[in-house]
Amino acid sequence: MSIILPGEHVPARHVNLKLGPGLLQLSSPDKRRGIADEGLGIISTKAGTLHHSTNQSKWWIENNSRRYVPAQQESVIGVIILRSGEGFRVDIGSAHTASLDGLAFEGATKRNKPNLKIGCLVYARVSLAHKDMEPELECFDAQTRKAEGFGELKEGFLVRCSLKMSRLLLDPKHFLLPLLGHRFPLEAAVGMNGRIWVNTKEMKHTIAATRCIEAVDPDGGGMDERGVKEFLNALDVE
Amino acid sequence: MGSRVEILNEGGFRSDGRRQYELREVTIDLSQQGQADGAAVITHGLTRVMVSVFGPREAKSRSQTIHDRANINVEVAISPFSAGERRKRSRGDKRILEMAATIKSTFEPVVQTTLYPRSQIDVFVQVLQQDGGLLQGCINATTLALVNAGIPLLDFVCAVSGGVYSTSPMLDLTLLEENDLPNLTVAVMPKTGKSTLVTMETRLHVDRFEEIFKLVCSASHALHQEMKDAVRVRTTSLVTAMGTTQSNVGGDTMMDES
Amino acid sequence: MRPPSPSIPEKEFLFASLKASLRLDGRQPLQLRTPELTFGPELGWVECALGKTRVLAQVDAKMVKPPPERPFEGMVSIHSEISPIASPEYEFGRASEEEVTMTRMLDKVLRRSDTIDKESLCVIAGQRVWHVRLAIHCLSDEGNMLDCACLAGIVALRHFRRPEIEVVGDEVTIHDPTERAPIPLAIHHSPFCFTFAFFADTSIPPILDPSHLEQRLSAGLVSIALNAQREICVLQKLGGVPLAPDSILNLVEIAVSRAKELDRLVDDKLKVDWSGRRVEFR
Repeated sequence: MSIILPGEHVPARHVNLKLGPGLLQLSSPDKRRGIADEGLGIISTKAGTLHHSTNQSKWWIENNSRRYVPAQQESVIGVIILRSGEGFRVDIGSAHTASLDGLAFEGATKRNKPNLKIGCLVYARVSLAHKDMEPELECFDAQTRKAEGFGELKEGFLVRCSLKMSRLLLDPKHFLLPLLGHRFPLEAAVGMNGRIWVNTKEMKHTIAATRCIEAVDPDGGGMDERGVKEFLNALDVE
Repeated sequence: MGSRVEILNEGGFRSDGRRQYELREVTIDLSQQGQADGAAVITHGLTRVMVSVFGPREAKSRSQTIHDRANINVEVAISPFSAGERRKRSRGDKRILEMAATIKSTFEPVVQTTLYPRSQIDVFVQVLQQDGGLLQGCINATTLALVNAGIPLLDFVCAVSGGVYSTSPMLDLTLLEENDLPNLTVAVMPKTGKSTLVTMETRLHVDRFEEIFKLVCSASHALHQEMKDAVRVRTTSLVTAMGTTQSNVGGDTMMDES
Repeated sequence: MRPPSPSIPEKEFLFASLKASLRLDGRQPLQLRTPELTFGPELGWVECALGKTRVLAQVDAKMVKPPPERPFEGMVSIHSEISPIASPEYEFGRASEEEVTMTRMLDKVLRRSDTIDKESLCVIAGQRVWHVRLAIHCLSDEGNMLDCACLAGIVALRHFRRPEIEVVGDEVTIHDPTERAPIPLAIHHSPFCFTFAFFADTSIPPILDPSHLEQRLSAGLVSIALNAQREICVLQKLGGVPLAPDSILNLVEIAVSRAKELDRLVDDKLKVDWSGRRVEFR
């Protein structure tokens, strides 16, 4: 777990080596001085902390950014911006708008397509993400073909945060969501594209949840558990 | 500059012979101008503004369309011969752009844009002569042109300018008075009495402001009457031209109610 | 590039919470974000932050020959351009509607309301006057950039000190700031701008100092610039939701009280900064 900068050599060696985000295998031998390497070297392309799995077969770099780059099988929250032909164009915060087919919902047939208005929020899964094509979304689980929580998100509020924050919230060991759930009933959908949807019964609870998420966000201060508890007490959420 | 010409003398007369609360003479011409769907020429004393309205029609570029409303596009042009000295103003002049943006946001809550999604309503304003009260003239002319074009409006928008000379409030300022006095322009929707546009650019004490603001709001009702009469005359002539076989009984009682 | 409009849940939640007088960042409906003023090492360099909205203002002065029609007055010019650094809504080169409104408003508040005594900027009538240039750079737009820019501008003008000059006959000597203490500009009054946002639903009360989302979803903005002496410099309600005259007069009263508070805050901050600078007397 060390801090690494772009262009640094990474000592990753394994028979079945898998490189995660932020690492690149050079296509020609590394001729830099001081690198004693007979093969093709691995260098880092991002600044962040270097991590690897216990058996050293998987290496990756963790960093924080705000712009989402679509990757397959990730769950994202999108906003419908156009109805085009058979489907919808959805803004997920990436470089291109994604397309969501009208039939990509559970129980949808040609005659029975969902009627989503422009401006609706949807929780979807990235089914196709390739750098040369625009991303495609689906609103059902890949194996079971059932909704499993995907689909339109009604009411509630959308919070924007950094990508690291959404990854932290998806980690079951993180403290924030259980802490908030303890104080008031809360429904949340976390999108890997830095968008989080929260829904509570009372408006002040939603506002409290929004402010806590923004406070814990590493970009906005990175408050710890104790700080959040004090913050919640100060906010008068009964 | 102001000391040479008396803004308000002891007799209560202004430099052009009007009294304090007197508005300048208003003439309204609603005859058709070229290809426009609606047009109006209004004069407030020596200020003359012409407005042509096209629309709702297909938008020029798709990026400017809004999916559930019509887009109002306003363009203002001030003729070089309109002021005392000939001066050509480029289209990117910030003052003109601001005036266009002002007119657009004044009419956006008034025009029923939700009836025409993805289309565009073009408003072209041409200033022919300016002698003070420019924004006032533009807004009044735009209202009349929109009414003339048959675009549905929630209400008229009547604008009047006013200013304060030491402690005396005055209405409908000429260019001379505008340059010297703190002045403001207010556009009011007469039925409800609410104002859609208020702009004041010069320093004025809060108490003085309250006085002149209330005065200008009530003055717009007088202007409203003028505008209604002009529209009534025009509509009557159109209705009679449309055919003598149609009975006009019902139409007259409706117009007399308002 | 126009960013997509806010989603339906965001819109509905904002309207519902504003109806209950709850703002998303926990402020009261008529509460300003506390301005944070950072002064640079140079005199006349100020960065003003209202929450996440940040604007930088810088003042400098140089001697020029005045135009022939006004030989007794100095010149004040304001240069402000919003570049896409503030937000992807703004395009470089082309002035969007919001940008035009903002730059014109800044011009009216800071220049046309006679904040600086132009006659005191005259050195030799007809030949040499000071030309004071105020440059405003908008760094980040989280709502209400106009108020932030006006505040940064007026504080920078009050912070700035121009070099001391000596006139002997027709010759002008400009003394270096290290030789003679520079002197402040003659400022008549300090205008502060307050922007209120209104919404289509008339049961929602007006809110002061809107955030980005509130500004985006508002149906009308009213900007009032006034000074602590109860004089309104600019009042601008450019279209938007129609308001009864009494509501507008009400807003003026609210702005008057806020102006007094802000004036005190700015005075304190300037005093603190000035005491931290070394001024030697020889």
